[in-house]
Amino acid sequence: MELENKDVLVVGSGISGIASALELAKAGVKVYLIEKEAAVGGYAASFCCKATDSCAKCSVCAALDKLKEALIHPRITILTNSTVKRLSGELGNFHVEIIQQSRYVNMERCVACGLCAEVCPAQPKAIHASSEENMPFSYVLDEGLCLRFKGEKCDLCQSNCPTKAIEFELKPNRHELSVGAIIVATGFAVFDARLKGSLGYGRYPQVLTGLDLERVFRREGYLKLSTAGNEPKNIAFVQCVGSRDERHGYCSQVCCKYAIKLARLIQYQNPEAKVTIFYIDLQTSGKGFAQFYEECKGSIQFIRGIPVEVLQTSSGKLEVKFEDISQGKVRRDVFDLVVLSVGISPGKDVWDLARILGINLDDDGFFGVKSALCSNETNVDGIFLAGTCQGPKDIPDSIAHGVAAASKAIQALSGVDSRRRSFRWRW
Amino acid sequence: MEKEIGIFLCNCGGGIKNIDFDAVREKLVQISDVAFVAVSSALCLEEGKGTIVSTIKDKGVEKVVIAACSPEFTEHTFGEVLEKAGLNRHLLAMANVREQCAWAHQGDVTKKAIQLIKMAVNRARLLQPVQKKELPINKDVLVIGGGFSGLNIALQLSRLGLRATVLEKEAVLGARLGEAESFSSCDMGPMISEVESDDNIEVLTSAQLVRIEGNVGNFSVRIQKAGEEIPRKYGAIVVATGYRTQLMASSEPDSGGKILSQAELCRMLAAQSLEKQPRTVGFIFDFADENSRFPTLATLDNALAAKEKWDSEVYVFCKSVKVDSKGAEKLYREARARGIVFLKCETPPKVLAKNGRVEIQAQDILMGEDTVFACDVLVAEQQILPAEDADILSSLLNVGRDSKGFYQDENVHLYPVALERKGIFVVGGCRGDLDGGRVLSDISSAVMSIYELLSPGKIVVDSEKVKANPQKCVACLTCFRVCPHSAIQLMRAENEKEVAQVADAACDACGICAAICPAKAISFEGYTDEQIVAQIEALGTS
Amino acid sequence: MSKEIVAFCCQHSAYPAADLAGKSGLRYAENVRIIRVPCAGRIDVIHILKAFEKGVAAVLVLGCEEGACHHITGNDRAKERVKYAEMLLKEVGADGGRVKMYNLSPNAPHKFVKILDEVSKKIADEEKQK
Repeated sequence: MELENKDVLVVGSGISGIASALELAKAGVKVYLIEKEAAVGGYAASFCCKATDSCAKCSVCAALDKLKEALIHPRITILTNSTVKRLSGELGNFHVEIIQQSRYVNMERCVACGLCAEVCPAQPKAIHASSEENMPFSYVLDEGLCLRFKGEKCDLCQSNCPTKAIEFELKPNRHELSVGAIIVATGFAVFDARLKGSLGYGRYPQVLTGLDLERVFRREGYLKLSTAGNEPKNIAFVQCVGSRDERHGYCSQVCCKYAIKLARLIQYQNPEAKVTIFYIDLQTSGKGFAQFYEECKGSIQFIRGIPVEVLQTSSGKLEVKFEDISQGKVRRDVFDLVVLSVGISPGKDVWDLARILGINLDDDGFFGVKSALCSNETNVDGIFLAGTCQGPKDIPDSIAHGVAAASKAIQALSGVDSRRRSFRWRW
Repeated sequence: MEKEIGIFLCNCGGGIKNIDFDAVREKLVQISDVAFVAVSSALCLEEGKGTIVSTIKDKGVEKVVIAACSPEFTEHTFGEVLEKAGLNRHLLAMANVREQCAWAHQGDVTKKAIQLIKMAVNRARLLQPVQKKELPINKDVLVIGGGFSGLNIALQLSRLGLRATVLEKEAVLGARLGEAESFSSCDMGPMISEVESDDNIEVLTSAQLVRIEGNVGNFSVRIQKAGEEIPRKYGAIVVATGYRTQLMASSEPDSGGKILSQAELCRMLAAQSLEKQPRTVGFIFDFADENSRFPTLATLDNALAAKEKWDSEVYVFCKSVKVDSKGAEKLYREARARGIVFLKCETPPKVLAKNGRVEIQAQDILMGEDTVFACDVLVAEQQILPAEDADILSSLLNVGRDSKGFYQDENVHLYPVALERKGIFVVGGCRGDLDGGRVLSDISSAVMSIYELLSPGKIVVDSEKVKANPQKCVACLTCFRVCPHSAIQLMRAENEKEVAQVADAACDACGICAAICPAKAISFEGYTDEQIVAQIEALGTS
Repeated sequence: MSKEIVAFCCQHSAYPAADLAGKSGLRYAENVRIIRVPCAGRIDVIHILKAFEKGVAAVLVLGCEEGACHHITGNDRAKERVKYAEMLLKEVGADGGRVKMYNLSPNAPHKFVKILDEVSKKIADEEKQK
């Protein structure tokens, strides 16, 4: 059967979108990969390595590898600062209108020398690399931070740019794309821990989220906190913050694993550190995790019971009030640092995108699937889902889901009738 | 000496301030076989690339050194530029004078830059071209295992126009059909009919793989069926051999009470009429093996079915419910809402058979003391194990397994469905991670990987980039045994001795063989011993 | 210029980590010379010995974290070879402690710098004691 070699639009350059785009490109398909931020890679690319004396299998490096491969693939065209404005058409013949905000830096001319950032007077710098790893390989001017855009007369970056890459006059661009299929890979939003006010996030500087902790390790290489003092010795992780509660009827799938891996990393770097993990049900499944967990049991304290309140003590530490279920009593323990294992929530723009694309949302607010038998297909033929925008997943599952979405897209584009279902499945 | 090396220096738009490029240039032009040293300000931009092409053509150099930013991204770009200038892309050596020199140190780094470039020059001098070659490949796929995953893959491949042979060691497809562990799980009948009537799919039952040779795109296998060996050729292979379960009934001998597996309970649930419907059903899981997504989901499913069909009292004993799958939490809440009781215990419950019933003595964390529950039937914990012949088949295919014996090493770079050998994939329960949603994703992933591999009908390879010299090879088999990708085979040319040969299609260019060969018979172009040592030669205080 | 430290860096792990260190403004000793290799398993004992013959202060082999080698066994092979090189050096009366294997990920620039700082310090301390 001849493959109708139509192009595919992938919305979102997180690990799932990247995985989809890469597999499609390798199969000979031309891919447009659009990303709403200035940097590609999404959350996965921003996490830290959690290896101790061996790999912790968090897969962040595997995500980075795929990202690097996608960035140089000739069949993938990446458009940053871009969102879908309008969609019409059908499978095999979609017309998409993309709005691309300006980076004010011409990516064809930027050599990422950094001279512009050196001379930028704004605090924080208004012109900077796309991301820490600078992917894509270019700088970007943030209109919101730039003094010139606030009315001041400043053109230091432009006058110092050796390749004339900076153009203040660049306007948003409109792209009209014709594609055969669309893969939605818009990722997730991190649960806002301030919504659980009693846990102290946003009030006490020593209460962090799991994402904050990842960023600290990524930036500093060790548990360096902004609050003065030595490295924290007594650390608590609180699981299920924004998962398995009244508003979230699902498990976020990643938190137990990342908490245990981060806990292990903390203890590896600081053998004196004591870590306690407060949980409801500990999620320890998955390839390669069982052994890891066995090794941790001796050194991490696991307490069944989610804390209800975190307060600051007079000495600046944190007092955590919880019910120790196995002991059957309420306790108040003191910690130097409390990490809230925040969950995966639907992305902020899902309503807009759902409306524009005509796809449904499920009860939890993630994009809905057509049937339980295939978690990539939406109610619209030719529009597929990849990754956490369909529901919480860890990095390996996001990759698998992205590649699966590519598979479904290719099958749809070959005119295959995938509506034939020869089995039923409950979950 | 021929002036065959050309050097391009890039000051990154003038952004590199702590290298004196003129001083660098002065030192480098003194090297006798360097034809020119050109300083540029933006080699990666279109005009910079244009300059490289015209300068190479002008000066007629054979090898190129580019001192600029990291080769991580630009090596690819500059390789293309070399090709435009008529040179093989492998005749390029890069010196990282930006990320690993100018940006990494404070103060003047001119001396280090000079040395880094000299290292690259020494390497460039010895570089040889590597050509691309197209190899024809077989587009058929061998699917080992005729269960849910195997049949599903064969069907999806067929839809994409690829032919598959489903190899099943039992006499029928879907042999575990009667072993379904979850009440509402797959009814495979329709899928089996579809497979049997699909022209793109060949089914061989009571058949086993006994021999495999060759590499990705060109596997030669021998299948044993009915006492005969059938030779076949395939481009890719999928392992979908499933899993086994073993009941861990750690209890006293069954004196009339019923200790069952999930599958046995399912059969009871499916039965039209039962002599006696169990009034109380117990489930135990998650103690011996905490990797229990599938047991959780099967338990929830079967517990709800027992409630619905028999209106039994249901008690579930576990450490933690594993709800990290889509829909699992909802199922768990539904189960609790229907009155199914979950007892979370830190230690495994004791199971005793007494008076025709099964007694479970457990210490639930909420109650805090030992309590005894009497059930009519108990679904005891089951161990999920690799398929019986996993050790034999994995040896035959020369692929690794994880610490529990399931296929696929626990190496993140292989996830989701790849193995160390290109062209061989693994899906489904035989891989270990086995809830329904993830298995379906794995299946589609494997289909995609196979499609992109086989659909072009050919593989483009770097020809002889890693090569065993037949004159030096003594066929000691060290490289053969050590290659993680099984890319080395023994070949015997006519009237010649048997020697090692690297299969270009399977080689992943790691160089482990080149390092380990005791006769130094294997060369790895770009990283030969001479090319590595030449870089070392440029060191020493100068 | 002080004697160089040769760091054989695998292209999947240490080499990008070193790049990231530079991009992030992390600084390390100037006498480090990075040699890029496709896998730590490519490194043979002869490469290590040739470096010492040239007079370098130390030889480091940096590969992927254990269990994460792109070529599955490459970093294990490298580890064995480094041990063997260490033994050979001791046998000929040289300092076996100057060759060492390290493991890291591509997104661990701090680990890269920490390793080099440790090695530089060790060499400086040993030089002082002479």
